[in-house]
Amino acid sequence: MYSLNRRNFMKLAALSGAVVAAGAVDSRPALAGTIKLEKGGRDFSPATDKERKAIPSACWQCVTRDSIIGYVEDGRLVKIEGHPKSIRTLGKLCAKGQAGMDQAYFPDRILYPLQRVGKRGEHKWKRISWDAALDLLASKLKPLRDAGTPELFMYQYGRHKASQEATMKDFMGAYGSGTIGNHTSICESAKWTAMEMTWGGGYDNWDFDRTDFVINFGSNVFECHTNHLPTSQRLIRAMVDRGVPLYTFDVRLSNTAAKSTEWIPIKVNTDGAVQLAMTNHIMNNNLYHKDFIKFMKVSAKYDQTDAEKIAEIKKRVAKYTPEWAEGVSDVPASKIKQIATDFAKAKSGVVITYRGNLMHFDGAENERASMLLMAVTNNLNKPGGRCKAAGGSWKAPSTPKAKVHKKLDILDGFPGKPSDTSYAYPTHHASHQVIPMIIDGSWGRPKVYWWSAYIPTYSNGNNNEARKLFLDEKLMPFLVCTTIGYEESSQYADLILPDVSYLERWDWEDMPSANQIGEWYFRQPLVKPLGEARCQGDVFPELAKRLGFELTWSSKEDYVKQSCNMTPGVKEAGGFEYMKKHGVWVPPGAKPFFGNHDQEVDVSGADLDEKTGVYSKGGKYVGQKIGDKAYAGFGGGMIRSGMCEFYQEAMVEKGLPAFPGYTPTPEHVAMEADDLILTTFKIACHTHSRTAVSKLLSEMYHDNPGWMNPKTAAERGIKNGDAIKVKSEIGEITTHVKVTEGIIPGVIAISHHVGREHSGRWGSGMKSPVPGVHDDDPDLKLKWWDKNGVHPNVLIPNKGDRVSGTMRWMDTVVKVTKA
Amino acid sequence: MGTARKKKADTAMARSHVYGLLATIFRAEPTAALLKELKDPRFSGVFSDLGLDLGDEFHQKPEAELVEELAVEYTRLFIGPGPHVSPHESVHKEVDGGGRGSLWGEDTVRVKKFIETAGLEYEPDYTGIPDHVSVELEFLQKLADRESTAWSEGDTEGALYCRKIEKMFLEDHLSKWVPRFCDKVMAQAELPFFGKMAKLTKGFILNPAFR
Repeated sequence: MYSLNRRNFMKLAALSGAVVAAGAVDSRPALAGTIKLEKGGRDFSPATDKERKAIPSACWQCVTRDSIIGYVEDGRLVKIEGHPKSIRTLGKLCAKGQAGMDQAYFPDRILYPLQRVGKRGEHKWKRISWDAALDLLASKLKPLRDAGTPELFMYQYGRHKASQEATMKDFMGAYGSGTIGNHTSICESAKWTAMEMTWGGGYDNWDFDRTDFVINFGSNVFECHTNHLPTSQRLIRAMVDRGVPLYTFDVRLSNTAAKSTEWIPIKVNTDGAVQLAMTNHIMNNNLYHKDFIKFMKVSAKYDQTDAEKIAEIKKRVAKYTPEWAEGVSDVPASKIKQIATDFAKAKSGVVITYRGNLMHFDGAENERASMLLMAVTNNLNKPGGRCKAAGGSWKAPSTPKAKVHKKLDILDGFPGKPSDTSYAYPTHHASHQVIPMIIDGSWGRPKVYWWSAYIPTYSNGNNNEARKLFLDEKLMPFLVCTTIGYEESSQYADLILPDVSYLERWDWEDMPSANQIGEWYFRQPLVKPLGEARCQGDVFPELAKRLGFELTWSSKEDYVKQSCNMTPGVKEAGGFEYMKKHGVWVPPGAKPFFGNHDQEVDVSGADLDEKTGVYSKGGKYVGQKIGDKAYAGFGGGMIRSGMCEFYQEAMVEKGLPAFPGYTPTPEHVAMEADDLILTTFKIACHTHSRTAVSKLLSEMYHDNPGWMNPKTAAERGIKNGDAIKVKSEIGEITTHVKVTEGIIPGVIAISHHVGREHSGRWGSGMKSPVPGVHDDDPDLKLKWWDKNGVHPNVLIPNKGDRVSGTMRWMDTVVKVTKA
Repeated sequence: MGTARKKKADTAMARSHVYGLLATIFRAEPTAALLKELKDPRFSGVFSDLGLDLGDEFHQKPEAELVEELAVEYTRLFIGPGPHVSPHESVHKEVDGGGRGSLWGEDTVRVKKFIETAGLEYEPDYTGIPDHVSVELEFLQKLADRESTAWSEGDTEGALYCRKIEKMFLEDHLSKWVPRFCDKVMAQAELPFFGKMAKLTKGFILNPAFR
């Protein structure tokens, strides 16, 4: 009886293999080549079976900017996937990235330059040619430059990075204006400033590939981190494959909290208190790791012994006991001790932090506290810990700066002692104070204000104030914006320049890797620009000529080409042509880099500064004296030694605490019995303001009810789904409520992203105030939702962290009543 | 050339001219030169016969003012910014299986392929999208013109082939979306001009006598 089983099959296989290997079979193969197993990188039309053209490029929906492959059929982009050869993303792409086609093809896209012909906000426009648009713009900019007042031209940008930012800054430098506003303070500047104060700066990566333990304070890493997919997939992998625990402290049950080993609810802006209590517990129970102590500066002295430093740290965190922290944060002391103990005992561990930790009064202090916790457990610049990230570093062409180069002092917040509007060290500017400072006028006002990839009247706090300013032609004489769609700010512009989507332009990119190996990557057009949309990198050279100067590059493509052909490594690999073909480049044989602060260095011939222990040659940092040795140590940012500084002299100079500490949020201390704290959050399928045009993403997320704990709701007689009024010191909204245990009592949580006034038929839900005209396309019949959200920013004043100036998105005190 | 053949040639040429006019009207903001032509009493008479009243202001308003007003109206109706009546087939056309309501949709490709298969190509300096209403009208203009030439040259087969393609393109494309597009323009135009031109376009496309 025929019976094929594993045993006789294996026997047969072994014999067969031997026969073939011996060449006993005289059979010529019909197939040549080798089987290639590729995860992605090719796609076929389901209708025609034809292979689609696959073009490597890079996403730009969010700042993560993943490498992608765009599939093009008949000149039309039909699909976007992750780039399978990217070591950052490992071929993955999030929902936003996959919905990228909507950025090019949404039906409300602006395709031509437009000049306002009615009053501001009247929505009356005329199409003009690019020549007319550039002539008009030049007629406003040239007189300012010729009069020696180039600073009266202000440019402010949102999502610009890498060559998009570099080309703009090159143009602005050649023009002569340093009045360049960014958006970092509404995003993450407390993190940057805290990094600069401790280990000298740089983007921090969380080495999930090697970590053994993760504590999360206010990062929604599974939904929306700045390096989202590269990190989130590695964290999930660590949890699933290696059983790495993830403890998430958050006021809200985010999807990250839900996927964590444990969600530990915590009161608003008490993360720093818990982190300090963990450090207290670790120090007092001798759970600290001595290896990093010598690199820490914990007092005014630079030459303390390890024992002196340990005693110093213990003294400085003595009052922050777990029991004290329980009273402040509602996190049980036992839980703080348990997690701190396990963290300290883990072979490696990382404390991850983001907006929940940062966007508060004292956000930078919270971040310094997290650095302290990692320093005493020796988890900085170490496999499995928090590391200075590695990313591609590009060389680029540069145009000489203008002889007259000035800027208006409206970029960093109001002068004065540290407060909500004046900041001690706004090292990444205070973009949310630009509008209040222009209104004030004491520090000058731009005569031309040009913005791009930014919606100042939507993305900042206190939107109503911003709108009034944009309507005022005396305070803001000429407004120009570069945009792909009509939204809350472009409606007030005098001139709209149609931007290309990221799917139609050139760039080099440099977002750090999540694995400590830098990747150089690249964006190229997947399709031609629609209509007369034009990349700013192509506009600047033309505009420069009209203004009487030349840039050293003739177009964005030329800029990127020159960069590729001058960047070491990329150049030798084949430069521009290599990048066009492959999209990514990694140095052959590159290994993860975890910093070199603990490497001894040769300081012969160097000068020693006895006060700081810094060795230098010709004013250039060489190393740090620690004991009787010299180490590479740390450098840059605001630190004055080569040590990781926790006693920060710059803070003392501004009358602020030198050592990381905890100060209660003043508004929260002064809350009345029926007050709540408004906290905001982000979700996975939208950016803050630039994805509302997407049909696919708007279908996924279009409404943002206020999350409220059942206890808090019951106290107000509010039931799930009820209409509510939320009122702050500056504004009021009416929305509806989602009653859920997924939020702590005493808080209302409302997401960003939606509640659009404009941003196309999908973003605004056809409620746009633009009168009358619409084409009612057939897909609108399928729109099954009738809620389009409510924008919470009208409630939130433009207050910042007193140290870094970061916007306090999570601190606003409100009253909530049934509507 | 026989009378019947000449009549066919003339009819085709007439269709070509009307398609050409409509293509010009929807392609861009009206120029002063175009408006001057349309104000000519002969045109006024025809419009009057057609029941298309462009209004007193059209005839009496200073030319520069009219040009400016119609430029704003064109922008408001067909360009935006913000809500507008997209002049592109792929935004309007109802097709099964999704892919609707977007620029450069599947139908844009079909239109482009259709036109290119007929031997035409898009001018390098044309900056619009391939399925713009004016392009579709211009295509029919060129087809009808070619048909007329064929009749004149005694090329019956060629003429009939042009006619067949014209009908096919009308049935597969224009008639599937332009009438509704015209309805939207008629309903939402503030000045008479584009509303009346939309009425003319719809009537012309839907009238079997012209196919």
